[in-house]
Amino acid sequence: MKKQKIDISNLQPLIALILMAVAMTMMSDHFATKDNLFNVARQISVNICISVGMTMVILTGGIDLSVGSILAFTGAVAAGLFKNGLEIEGMNLFVGTTLFGAICIALVVGVFLGWFNGLMITKFKVPPFVATLAMLTIARGLTMLYTKGFPITQLGGQFNYIGTGWFLGMPMPVWISIVVISVSVFFMNKTRTGRYIYAIGGNERAAILSGIKVNKVKLFVYMIAGALAGIGGLLVTARLDSAQPNAGMGYELDSIAAVVIGGTSLSGGKGSIIGTVIGAGIIGVLNNGLVLLNVSPFWQQVIKGLVILLAVIIDKIQKEK
Amino acid sequence: MKSKHVQQFTSILLIGMVLFSCSSDKSDKSIKKMAVVISTMNNPWFVVLGETAKQRAEELGYQAVIFDSQNNPSKETEHFDNIIVSGFKAILFNPTDAKGSVANVRAAKQAGIPVFCMDREIDANDVAVSQILSDNYSGCVRLGQYFVTMLDGKGSYVELLGLVGDNNTWNRSQGFHSVVDNYPDLKMAAQQTGEFDRNKAMEVMESMLQAHPKIDAVFCGNDAMAMGAYQAVNAAGKADKIMIFGFDGAADVIDAIRDGKIKATGMQFPKTMAKTAAEFADRYVHGERNFEKKVPVAVELVTKENVSQYAAYGRAN
Repeated sequence: MKKQKIDISNLQPLIALILMAVAMTMMSDHFATKDNLFNVARQISVNICISVGMTMVILTGGIDLSVGSILAFTGAVAAGLFKNGLEIEGMNLFVGTTLFGAICIALVVGVFLGWFNGLMITKFKVPPFVATLAMLTIARGLTMLYTKGFPITQLGGQFNYIGTGWFLGMPMPVWISIVVISVSVFFMNKTRTGRYIYAIGGNERAAILSGIKVNKVKLFVYMIAGALAGIGGLLVTARLDSAQPNAGMGYELDSIAAVVIGGTSLSGGKGSIIGTVIGAGIIGVLNNGLVLLNVSPFWQQVIKGLVILLAVIIDKIQKEK
Repeated sequence: MKSKHVQQFTSILLIGMVLFSCSSDKSDKSIKKMAVVISTMNNPWFVVLGETAKQRAEELGYQAVIFDSQNNPSKETEHFDNIIVSGFKAILFNPTDAKGSVANVRAAKQAGIPVFCMDREIDANDVAVSQILSDNYSGCVRLGQYFVTMLDGKGSYVELLGLVGDNNTWNRSQGFHSVVDNYPDLKMAAQQTGEFDRNKAMEVMESMLQAHPKIDAVFCGNDAMAMGAYQAVNAAGKADKIMIFGFDGAADVIDAIRDGKIKATGMQFPKTMAKTAAEFADRYVHGERNFEKKVPVAVELVTKENVSQYAAYGRAN
């Protein structure tokens, strides 16, 4: 497989990120400190996990609106299993779980919900927007059922280490997001399935004609998105020491924003994981910087919206040249 | 072929759903029904309010149903429309919006169904039979006074507001500032929103700690945000330097006050409000018509000194 040429237009989001970071450094003494940069990296780690999955989904020409709800449900399952175990009434059966077991089951749940999305989309031809919109409510409802509307808290140091611990001088969430990024960049560029994902989004009919098992690839992509939402759920839960029933609300929008700012086309086929990571970085720097500068909460929302528009417009102009 | 599959699938699904919902809606004239309409069941505080109202109504011999408005006034209107046509005797109501909910209550009144507001107020005096309200403003005045005492009237602090479009956000903030702003040596370094959300509050607090590392205290508009702020402060190793104040009386904050992690909270009494509303409604159904238009339920200050008298969302038994 040939190495992709580095294209100036791919660097657009990176330039925007650097410009923003320089501007923040000039405006606030507190931005470019080691502590604060770790802060930003930790804060965007959840969005990176979700957005990597979202990028793959969008590259196939789909969309996944259910990631925020899947995140909440997997986080709740992990916390609930770890804290209370699994009690099956009627059968008088109690299963306690270790931390590792709870995490594995939670991730399996994430994969399963993603698989369900994929099944609806490939088998029943439900448009991705509708199928995942349905999952957005279903998974939120399951979360409410499982938690009865109350947070599951006080999970203890072992669990919280995933979210608040440090390893070799870096916060754990940052390590986890680095692993997620590395594996997925390798997957997208060096494996056949990864290249198929681009091919499907570029021209689905051509992909089918050239013998790619399109449905299989799509199913797989939604399962990955579910798994990554699950990892995000573990991170959020561990960071807060609490699985909140309303965790992750609106995360799908932050994630789509990161993908779009990162230069991935919503119609599929074009884009990159690294672009999305930079997109998540831009949103993270913006969130952090606006608070550092004590900008009014009302204005923050307006500014964020404008930045998304600006990023996409610049990207468009660049590509049309 | 494929589309046939889809049609079959959806029609089976729809029929299943209809059957499922029918089986749970046997309308029996002899059973008296009471509706509990709650602004959102996505927040434990409101879950307690709704569940308690339902439970008390059932104890009084009603069949009670909870309707979740999902913080959406138009959803609330749909619920009211449905309730009005389904023969409910009374509505125990937690409004989504002080102004937006008035029309709904008026429609119920015209249909002869009495409405009793819980916790949140509506901006009209003549439509609800009675409003049993949490006194957010005075509660935060008390918190503000304790805040000043703890800080000895000097120092710098940050404030985490709730949702900026919510009445209670500003009632709480204004109550707090009505006291604290009288002390020129108490400086507010920053005011940001944590959207009543634990995660959002933690992230905003992390950033504020970077900009203002030397603050002495943080005032939070609810307890979820206080716990989020604590996570951030603790992770920064400043748990013993920065005092945290919350509002609500949630379970983990009561524990945190006992452990000295959080200084104080304003205890609201959702259970008291819900029970009062259910009992009022029952008395109304039995013919009584004399009710106070507004029944304020005081918010009490919970600190390390008196925390043993309290449990989650109310007094200890």
